[in-house]
Amino acid sequence: MSEVVSEKAGSPPAAPPAQPRAAGARPRRNRIKIAATAVLVLFLVLLPILVGSEVAYLKVAQYILIGAVGGIGLTLLVGQAGQLSLAHPFFLLVGAVSYAVLAGDPEESDDLVGLGLPPLLALVGAIVICGLIGLAFAPVAGRLRGIYLGVASLSLVFLGLWLGQSLEAFTGGTSSGRTPPTFELFGFPFSNAEPSPTLFGVAIEKQQRLWYLFLVLAAISYLLARGAVDSRIGRSWRAVRDNEAAATAMGVNVTRVKAGAFVISSAFAGLAGVMTALWLDLVKPDENEFTGSYSLTVSIAFLAIVIIGGLGSVPGAVVGAAVVFGLQQFFLLGANEFGWFADAEFGGLNAVVLSAFVYGAAVVLVVLFEPGGAAAVGRRLVARLSPSDIPSAPRGGRSTPGSEPERNDDDPTA
Amino acid sequence: MILRRRAGRSATLAAALASTLVLAACGSTADTPADTAAGAGGVKTDKGVTDTTITLGIMGDTSGVFKNLGAAINAGNQLWADDVNAAGGICDRTIQLEVVDHGYKADTAKTLYPQLEPKILGIVQLLGSPVLAALKQNLIDDNVTAAPASWSSEILNNPNIMMIGTTYDLEVINGLAYLQQEGLLADGATIGHIYIDGEYGGNGLKGSKYYADKHGMTVKEAKITSTDTDLTNIVTGLRGDGVTAIVLTTTPGQTASALAANQALGLNVPVLGNNPTFDPALLQSPAAGALGNLYVAASSPPFSSQTPKAAAVAKAYKEAYPGAPLNAGTNVGYVEGLVWQNVLTKACENGDMTRAGIQTALISLTAVDTEDLVGELDYSSPGAPPTRGVYIAKVDPAAEGGVTEVATVFTAPEAESYKAPFQEG
Repeated sequence: MSEVVSEKAGSPPAAPPAQPRAAGARPRRNRIKIAATAVLVLFLVLLPILVGSEVAYLKVAQYILIGAVGGIGLTLLVGQAGQLSLAHPFFLLVGAVSYAVLAGDPEESDDLVGLGLPPLLALVGAIVICGLIGLAFAPVAGRLRGIYLGVASLSLVFLGLWLGQSLEAFTGGTSSGRTPPTFELFGFPFSNAEPSPTLFGVAIEKQQRLWYLFLVLAAISYLLARGAVDSRIGRSWRAVRDNEAAATAMGVNVTRVKAGAFVISSAFAGLAGVMTALWLDLVKPDENEFTGSYSLTVSIAFLAIVIIGGLGSVPGAVVGAAVVFGLQQFFLLGANEFGWFADAEFGGLNAVVLSAFVYGAAVVLVVLFEPGGAAAVGRRLVARLSPSDIPSAPRGGRSTPGSEPERNDDDPTA
Repeated sequence: MILRRRAGRSATLAAALASTLVLAACGSTADTPADTAAGAGGVKTDKGVTDTTITLGIMGDTSGVFKNLGAAINAGNQLWADDVNAAGGICDRTIQLEVVDHGYKADTAKTLYPQLEPKILGIVQLLGSPVLAALKQNLIDDNVTAAPASWSSEILNNPNIMMIGTTYDLEVINGLAYLQQEGLLADGATIGHIYIDGEYGGNGLKGSKYYADKHGMTVKEAKITSTDTDLTNIVTGLRGDGVTAIVLTTTPGQTASALAANQALGLNVPVLGNNPTFDPALLQSPAAGALGNLYVAASSPPFSSQTPKAAAVAKAYKEAYPGAPLNAGTNVGYVEGLVWQNVLTKACENGDMTRAGIQTALISLTAVDTEDLVGELDYSSPGAPPTRGVYIAKVDPAAEGGVTEVATVFTAPEAESYKAPFQEG
């Protein structure tokens, strides 16, 4: 693939050529970018030391990474490939259960199926299983579009509820669920095993280890997603999203591309499912369809992540995850730490209610004023840093309802 | 673009370099020093106990689906702590409560727990079966003893769970025995059981199956989810099966629907419910007129109970929280505190108020007296419910809290012989 093509990737045929770049602006931005990346990575790597004994904040950070991995998967599907899906929690459930079954100790219980595979293999296996189930749903995804596909995909959540309750040998049943096996990498357990190494005086125990595991998994997901968006795969997704007839004319196999997007998105959700199981130390199917770890509420939360982050933007999904998955937990911790909402004994405003308002308001505000989401805000900030570098006119494309001409596809720096 | 690619690569390199530097700063230590210390009065302590205070945690629900019940349980815990502190505390230390609200969500509880854990000795109230399931391993890892506000015998395989009162399966067994004793049920009858799939419902169903097996009865099972609202078609089906009694392990709203259908269809059979099936708010609902057939089996006495201690707690609650909802939660919360009081006193006598010392003290208790707020409790055999008696109450709109007591601490012979899932021997 030549550099010229990749520069113009996904632009509508009629788009004007990118403006010539001012010499000198580029290297300066590179340095800023490298420095910013290094600082961010350093911050994330040192987070367990920064929070020290306040492990609860590390737990929130882990949770945000789960949301980020799942959100990235969904933003590829909804934003890049243009297929609305509410089935994410179902794939989370499949991923969590698959991991528990594949890695489960066969001797653990007579009532539970366990294959005793190494945890790493089980993790990969769970992702593959989710991808395959996504492929099985692809014929449906290929025939429907828009809200119809959303409603059809919703059926998977109900299917998951029913299967979770029925297949007790796999899921452990709704009563007690089952404990997922501890993750291990080449004999190194992600649990409180002695002796634990220390890092600047902070012992690297179970939660710190899980943080690094999640960080690596999230980083891999992020880089893979960015790679997909930047490459031929991403271009074919956007072509199909914008105009199926035109995509066909350009030689894109529409059916295959749509199916592929669903498979990849499901695989990301499967990984998020495995992470959920490790985070909760528990695989337990929901008792009803509205509350729980794999319920409709989670469908909506993931959709909110994608909208707040900006449809199709990979970094945006990470920001969205921080808002949606992180905010409530953060409020709760603050509420206990500093005694906020202490009067809310019998009803009234408390952390849970407030955070629901905040993220509800965030969705409404994004749709009204910034349909490009956090990605568009980020892009504007970058543009202000180096005004000569970014074309002043938005380059057209798809956005959240409200059709503000902002786009999140081609410019991964956003 | 080439430049940008290069920038990306440099950024990756920088990141790799940064993480290597960090890793280079790593060391390794094998052991952390045991932070056990002998405090005032020569008592060994570790977490949550100072020379002047004992801190216990509450992980309750004041914003989720059980907020009415949850707030009353919290209030019960607080009333207990106030009483103890007014009487001079335990082991020359006052009781402090750290309250957190998880809104009945397992993910929230999972985040809140690590914040709470370092501050407390144990948990005086841990509400909600999904929360319990998610925290099971944490409790074991940190050796934190917790009194659950959830009464399934399926959780008794966790040694750190201090069950207070009896379990859902035994509530149903005792309740059915009571109905039979009153002549409302006969051997060989057909009974219907409507239950929510999950820990709560599944455990209740175990009880009715056991009782039916003992008395040649047939159980017609109807599985629902906790969000179903209309049970009319299920009750219609049960009428077709010719049931002579219905057991409910449901939410209060579902109870109302089942009872309304029971009356409207002319079935009018006695209905037995577990403790959580009834909420006084139902008496203000359109189904109020149909509630008369409901019997409620519960470990702790109803709000209107004449049991002296229960009456005293009810009085204190109304004074301290005027206008707050009246339900059985107050007694539940108070009795959780009373059992903790027994355990703490015992641990103090043993001179060991560490978390391990609490465990030792707990299993040495064979007859905890709670002034009849629950039956006498025996913690010496882990895995078995500590008591098997229940209070039976009947709906009575005139009574405070909506139910009136018809039998005090009632233990059927079938309940004595029942073997709980994790009971040994």
